[in-house]
Order: sequence, then structure tokens, then C-alpha cells
Amino acid sequence: MRTLWRVRELSTVAILVLEIAFFTWYLWPAGGRSHPFLNAANGLLVLKYSSIYGIAAVGAAIVIICGGIDLAPGAIIALSGVVAGGLFVDGHWGLASSAAAGLLAAMACGLLSAALIVLVGLPPFIATLGVMGIGRGVAFIITEGRYFDVSGALPPGWRLAGIPLDWTSPILMIGLALAFQILMTRFQWGRAVFAIGGNAVAARFSGVSVGLVQASVYLVSAALAGVSGIALTVVQGQGKADLAMGYELDIIASAVVGGASLSGGRGSVVGAVLGTLIFGVLRNALPQVPGATFYDRLIVGLVVIVIVVMDQLLQRRKGASS
Amino acid sequence: MRQLGIVLIVAAIAGCGKAPVPAGNGAPRLRFAVIPKALDIPVFNYAKVGAEREAAARGNIDVIWRAPETADQLRQKEILESFITQKVDGIAISCLNGDFLTETINRAVDAGIPVTTWDADAPKSKRLAFYGVDDLAAGRILAEQAVSLLGGKGKIAIITSVGAFNLQRRLDGVKEVLGRHKDIQVVEVYDIKEDPVHCAEIIASGTNRYPDLAAWIAVGGWPVFTRNALDAVPARTKVISFDTIPPAPDLLKAGKVQVLLGQKYFGWGSESVRLLADIKAGKMPANPIIDSGVDVVTAANVDQYVIGWKALEKP
Repeated sequence: MRTLWRVRELSTVAILVLEIAFFTWYLWPAGGRSHPFLNAANGLLVLKYSSIYGIAAVGAAIVIICGGIDLAPGAIIALSGVVAGGLFVDGHWGLASSAAAGLLAAMACGLLSAALIVLVGLPPFIATLGVMGIGRGVAFIITEGRYFDVSGALPPGWRLAGIPLDWTSPILMIGLALAFQILMTRFQWGRAVFAIGGNAVAARFSGVSVGLVQASVYLVSAALAGVSGIALTVVQGQGKADLAMGYELDIIASAVVGGASLSGGRGSVVGAVLGTLIFGVLRNALPQVPGATFYDRLIVGLVVIVIVVMDQLLQRRKGASS
Repeated sequence: MRQLGIVLIVAAIAGCGKAPVPAGNGAPRLRFAVIPKALDIPVFNYAKVGAEREAAARGNIDVIWRAPETADQLRQKEILESFITQKVDGIAISCLNGDFLTETINRAVDAGIPVTTWDADAPKSKRLAFYGVDDLAAGRILAEQAVSLLGGKGKIAIITSVGAFNLQRRLDGVKEVLGRHKDIQVVEVYDIKEDPVHCAEIIASGTNRYPDLAAWIAVGGWPVFTRNALDAVPARTKVISFDTIPPAPDLLKAGKVQVLLGQKYFGWGSESVRLLADIKAGKMPANPIIDSGVDVVTAANVDQYVIGWKALEKP
């Protein structure tokens, strides 16, 4: 099984490498100019913006593997940023305690989702749709259309533990992806998540506490969205209620492109992060393609469909041959 | 098999784009990035026409027209940063959130890339020039037109979109003038979130809520971007709106709107390209704030305005 996952992630890496190679060739500069796509600063840029989606996509992948869906990450990103930013700028709290409060606000959203799904029995789509509205609504109530100028309140040139701000969220993304990959593959909790996503009834008969594990994945997903929101607020310098609007679909798409099956039981958090990088490269490179201004969405849509269809065909072929 | 998929996709991308232009033997061409707030806001299409016309007239400039598909501040910042890493020759941007972009604009200027703003400014940044309306003054004109139409009394509802610095300035101008008239009452300030469909909904519900409303004032053009957003407004209620792009003049002729304030839509693009070209040639603008002024369009001058518009629309 582990070998299969490794192969699946390798195939996502191969797609990413092919994508980078294509844009490197296609955007090769004329007249001795520096390459507009293949340079270190642009690589960091892709990582910096992808990490906003990537951190949350780790949580989204776990939820999807468990057979659920979470539509709230975009709203939670905004809410946690607004709570942390508001307390830091207007409340004059310390940065660590403001971030902790932002994280708690995110986890409160996760708890609400979990309670609605596990205790009330609402379908995850409806429960998290409601939490998405509540999270975004609370963020708007807190800000009343203003924003919290976090960068103005931080000392000039401030770094987190000596790390340049631009590097902070990519490092967080990679660290969290590796930590959760280990949790998902080497710990009982992760195996229970896969088991529930594969067959919840069988998992229950195997002694898995289905409700508890389901609740935990929504809590983890919300917490990771909260981390993303706090990183966004600190790195980008503003806590604002309308940031990350609609990002939940990109986050889910990243997890799916990274190999997570919407029917549950299959997927990988590292794959989800690679999925965000596939989208990140597209988001960065497509605007540089001459004449492609209005084609971005079409191409991104095509990417999702083609990769997922190819993945399904591959799975069917593997199923038939085994 | 998934690799085959990506090959198919990249082939599609290759098909939709143009092949890179080989370098000529003459002077290097200048690449100016012109960034509107979003691709789905209709007024900016005219700025694109203006920018491309000015670039074509000068002959050595390529305009790269890029923006978020919708008004996404983070995505606009990402696009701006990507143009810095691409080392374009100049950037002209209409800021969704000037303060949010200030640090990035400063980074571009520090890296030697001239940045100008148009339509919506980032006043705290190091941008070299701003071209657009004096929003406070424009807001005052909107309110003065309303006061004149209402004879100095009545209930007014205001439509805005919270967040953009320029819209806030217009709103400040409107409130400042209306505040001087004790018989004018502002009953609501609605935030329609840059969404013309939501605007139509707000107008319908606001008309129900305030049947004795004397006027709507819109600090952006959302009520006149579609033909039916004002259907719920009774004839006795006046409408004073920003923006004159089609179909707004038709709505004015039909009596659904009484006053429109037009901006220099084509000029946003053409003046931005001209400013950047001048700056690249070492000629800085005498004043960094270039007030484009506004066109006040009423039933009396709408036909003349439409004739002038059609002339500008030609590529």
C-alpha cells in the first residue's frame, strides 16, 4: 500500500515537473532578457502564494480521505486572520497570544462543523456550508469593512525566529505536510481516517470510534485553515474579512488533483500540497502567456478534469489487473 | 497516464497563446504591465482599449493586460509581485486595496520598475504618479447634483462598495455635501460588494423598505452596468450614478437615471502608458497627482457624449 502511495505521489511530482518544464520552454525569453518564470525569486513567489492554499489543503485532504467535505476553509482563513489581526492591532495583545486566539476561533468553527455532522447528523456539505457563512459573517462583523494593519504594527524588518517573512508560510506548509503525512500513514488515527473513508460501517465493526475520528478531522481541517489565515495575515500584513473569498474550491481541487478521492479512503496530504503547487505554477505562469488573459479559468478547469480522469482510468486499470 | 494528461493540457495552452516574439534588431521593446482591479468589471475594458491604442501608436511598447478574474485583493498582489520578478519595464495599476499593495509597490520602485496608479490610488506608496478623478471632488459633485434635483430636501440612499480607497473618498465627498443640508436625510449606505447583481437586489429591497425615497446616489456604476437593475425604482425617485459606460446613456435617455458622472475610461489606459513611457525616457510628471476630471452627463448633453464615446471606442 505504501509503495502505491509513493508511486501516486511520484506521478503528481512528474506532472509538476512537466508543467514547470513546459512553461520554462514556452516562456523562454527573447533578446537575452532574464527568464521571467524560471528564477529563484519567482520560485519563492509560487511557494509563498501556494502555501496559503497548501496549508489548508492538508486539512482538506484529510477530510476528503475520511469521506467528508469541508467548504469552510476560505472563511476560516479570513476569520482567524481577522481575530488575530484585530487583537494584535486594536487590542494590543502580543503576536503569539493574538495568533493563539485566531487559532482558537478557527477551531471553534471546526468544532461547530464536527458537532453538526457527528451529533446532529447533517451532511458535511450542508454543515460546512453553514459554518462557511458563519465564519465569514463573524469576520465582517468584527471588521465592519475595515482591515487590521498588521504590517504597520510590526517592527520594520520583523522576522519570525530569524526567518524572512516570505519564507514563513512555505516552511510551515512543508513542515505540516510532512508531519501529517507521518500521522496519516504511521499512526492509528491516520489508519482510522483511511478506514472510515473506505467503509465507515466496516470501520465501526473493526472497533474504530467513527464519530470521534470524524469530529477530529473537521477540527484538524479548521485548525490548519486557521494557521493558513494567521500566516496570511502576518506575511501579507492585513487582517481583512474578504480575503480568501472562494478559496475553498481551489483548496478542495488541490487535494483532488493531488490524488484524494471524493468517495473517500484514498489520498495523501503530500499529494494535496503538490496539487496546490500544480495550481500555483499555473496561476503564476498563465498570466505570462501572451494572449491568455481570459483563458486562465478554462485552462485550470481543464487541468482538474484531465488529471482526475486520467487518475481514475489508472485506478480502474490497476483494479482490473489486481 | 496522468503524464499524458498534462501533455494534452500543455498542448492546449500552447494552442491558445501566441508564440513568443523574437527579438528585433532595433531598440528593445518596452513591456508595460497594466493591471485593472479585476477582469470582470466592465469599465476596465475601455482602459484596455486606450492602453493598447497608445502602445500601438508609439510602436515600441507591449501592453501586458493582467488582473484577477474577480476582485480578489490577494490575487492582485500576487500578480503585481509576479511582474516584479519578471522585471517588466513599468507597471500601471488600479488598486483594489492601496494600503495592502503599498509595500509591494515600494519594492517594485526600489527594484527600478516605475509604478503608476490609475483609477484607484495607493497614496502611501512610492508610486510615481496617479491618474484618475479627484474622488472627494467627484463625490461632492454627485451630491450637489442630487441636492439640485431634489430642491434640497428628501430621503437619500447611497450605494457603495466597502474596501476601495477611491470609493471611500467619493462617499466622504457625498456625505460632506449632504451633511450641509438639514432637510436631506441619508437613510442607508449600502455595501454591494462590487457586485452588480447584488446591487439590483439591494435597489429592489431598498425601494420596498423606503417607498418615499427621493433619490439613490451610487458612488460606483453598478446600477447602470445592467439594463434592469433600476426596474424597481419608481419614476418619482431620482438616480444619480457614477459611470457612463454602455448601457448607462440608454438608461439616461429612458429617464431611469437623471445624472451620470463619467470618468476618463480610455484615458486610464492611454495616459498610464504615456506616463510610463515618459518616465522611462527620463521625463517625470510635473505633478504626481493628475486629476482627469469628470464628465457630467444629463439628458441635455447625452447625445453629444455618445458621439464622442463612439469615436474613442474605435481601436
